[in-house]
Amino acid sequence: MDNLFSQLSTLGSSLILLFGIALLWRKSLRAYTVAFQWQSVALTVMFVLIGYFSQDVELYIVAAFLFVLKVLILPRYLERMEKRFGDHRELRPYVNTVTSLIFSGLLVLLAYVVTRPLVLVSELPTRGGLPLAMGLIFVGLFVVITRKKALTQIVGFLVMENGIALLAVLGTYGIPLIVELGVFLDVLMGFLVMQVFVYHIHDTFESIDVDQMNELKH
Amino acid sequence: MTFFLLILPPLLAALLASLIRPYRAFVGWIGAWLSLISLAAAFVFVTQVINGQTPTWGLGSLNIADVFRADSLSALLMICVTSVGSLALFLSPGLGRQVKNPHWGELAYGPVQLRRYHVFINLFITAMLAAVSANNVGIMWITIEATTVFSAFIIPLKLNKASIEASWKYIIICSVGIALAFVGTVLGYFDFFLLSGRAENALNWPVLLATAPVLHPEVMRLAFVFLLVGYGTKAGIAPMHTWKPDAYGESPAPLTALMSSSLFAVAMYALLSWKIVADATLGNGYTNNLFMALGLLSLVVAAFSVVLATDYKRMFAYSSIEHTGLMCLGFALGPMGTFAALLHLVNHTAAKSLMFFLVDNIEHKYRSPLILKTRGLLKTMPWTGALFAFGLMTLIGLPPGGIFITEFALFRAGFALNHPWLMGVSLALLAVVFVSFINHLNKMLYGTPAVEEINPERPTEHFSWRLALLFINVAVLITLGLTMPSPLATLLQQSVGIITRR
Repeated sequence: MDNLFSQLSTLGSSLILLFGIALLWRKSLRAYTVAFQWQSVALTVMFVLIGYFSQDVELYIVAAFLFVLKVLILPRYLERMEKRFGDHRELRPYVNTVTSLIFSGLLVLLAYVVTRPLVLVSELPTRGGLPLAMGLIFVGLFVVITRKKALTQIVGFLVMENGIALLAVLGTYGIPLIVELGVFLDVLMGFLVMQVFVYHIHDTFESIDVDQMNELKH
Repeated sequence: MTFFLLILPPLLAALLASLIRPYRAFVGWIGAWLSLISLAAAFVFVTQVINGQTPTWGLGSLNIADVFRADSLSALLMICVTSVGSLALFLSPGLGRQVKNPHWGELAYGPVQLRRYHVFINLFITAMLAAVSANNVGIMWITIEATTVFSAFIIPLKLNKASIEASWKYIIICSVGIALAFVGTVLGYFDFFLLSGRAENALNWPVLLATAPVLHPEVMRLAFVFLLVGYGTKAGIAPMHTWKPDAYGESPAPLTALMSSSLFAVAMYALLSWKIVADATLGNGYTNNLFMALGLLSLVVAAFSVVLATDYKRMFAYSSIEHTGLMCLGFALGPMGTFAALLHLVNHTAAKSLMFFLVDNIEHKYRSPLILKTRGLLKTMPWTGALFAFGLMTLIGLPPGGIFITEFALFRAGFALNHPWLMGVSLALLAVVFVSFINHLNKMLYGTPAVEEINPERPTEHFSWRLALLFINVAVLITLGLTMPSPLATLLQQSVGIITRR
């Protein structure tokens, strides 16, 4: 039983990480939205799975919130923005696709190094997925840093949030419910503010490339 | 119940501002007077903790005990937040001045902007107060993240390329940073979970601290790095400081004053809360070394940026990074250093908020944030100019300002603990800041202003109650420079006791 659980959780985590890495080789915003949506679906399944095996009802509640927020609401907003601005493509990121993929491999390796103490200390059957969750956090961070479109940065941030949720559920079977709900609220509010700013950036700079914003120096 | 008197007034003010449209001046006034209730509540907490109590509030019936908790450190922070909050609300735009003065020209805010401003600045203050009262480090994280969201709404009160750029950088850098702090929080909980299993109160700070000595050091080390990067981003510790000059340069003055003094202090509080837990697991050395390294780096970055500054608002942002660095050094230098750093925090709160309100006056007059264009401050604005000179000299550590005392104490603590090289380099960097600040100040105070650059509708400066309010900061700074009021001394000693666990 534990063996099956452990294998399923590692498999699920790998899948979630792969959806994150997809951001690095896909170029259109449409593809980003789809990747994020499927990643969130996989994450929801993961929560349900862990809830089932650990017999924890709270995780079902969190999974329901997660599904509504990250599978239904946020992708819809992303689609709406994509329609408004046209299907922008991330044509020339600061780091090109091949290098990005090599970097993502290195980042996952780094995640294995960093999470080594966690895996050694933990006795949960889900511990095998911890490095993958940390890797996803690093990949999300990498997307935020190296991509030029404001919208891509937002998706990178959301992917990072997914990585943190995965880390929490794998490592601790979910943080206390009240905190989890607060985090959802914060993600939603943060996303809405960022969205407002994308509209402002588009109206003021007539593009959503953030590398045009270089007025402020010294 | 006092917790509600602390947190609810700004929330009520925000609610009122959001309900009444278009914006009317009385909304701003009610918000400002309400903020005095919060201030009074903060003082109640101070008297309670000085008498040795630890006020808490929770819903025992719902099995959620101790939602809010106040100790000496958080009471000190409450004072820092509520006092600057009240000052900022009384000096906010939209309290009659703009409406009555049709000559205000290009700097006027419209009713839509004023409504947005008053909603979000009050929410911002609410979130900061909730962050310092929260007993649960998860809730603390949520409220600190909320401050990012609320303040991002009002940084670009006037939409233009520069303000949008500043707020985009602010929200992206701070959201990502604070997300990393959450990774750290999760890792802290991870270890607790492995030891004691699932518990709803596990993220409560006292519970966490009580378990800390038996947590795994290798996990705690990793968690603390994430927490330091995360909350350090929010506090503006180098190298995560890059949003600071942009955001401070573009925000409306009261928000800048709040961000540079209160928000910074709140982020520092979060960092300290975790430092205490990490120290209990790891011993002092690990966190202290990290604090020293980043503190020194902040000083280096700040010193050279101040030399190159051409914009006085950004210059003060770099000065904030400098003081952040100093405080990080102080917190790494044992009980003496911690005492100095906490007192420095209080002084810095008074000095920095004073400076940003004055900078606002100057910018309205000269309509440019460039040092080059700001000449003859003493002639055109005698009151603001004199206060500006006083505040700036305090910031660089000249007596009788309180920062002189705290910097002196800090360096004494450093030398006493045998860090001559660290202290020597820091002193040299402070000297660089000192010289370039004096240089910038000279350029601004004297000389002849170009006539066409000064706002012609306000030819001379009259003394007003808005200036009179700023003398509160001056009084605080001079008092702390000359004496040490005994309630404050007790409060600081107790806080040092909490931080160094002695």
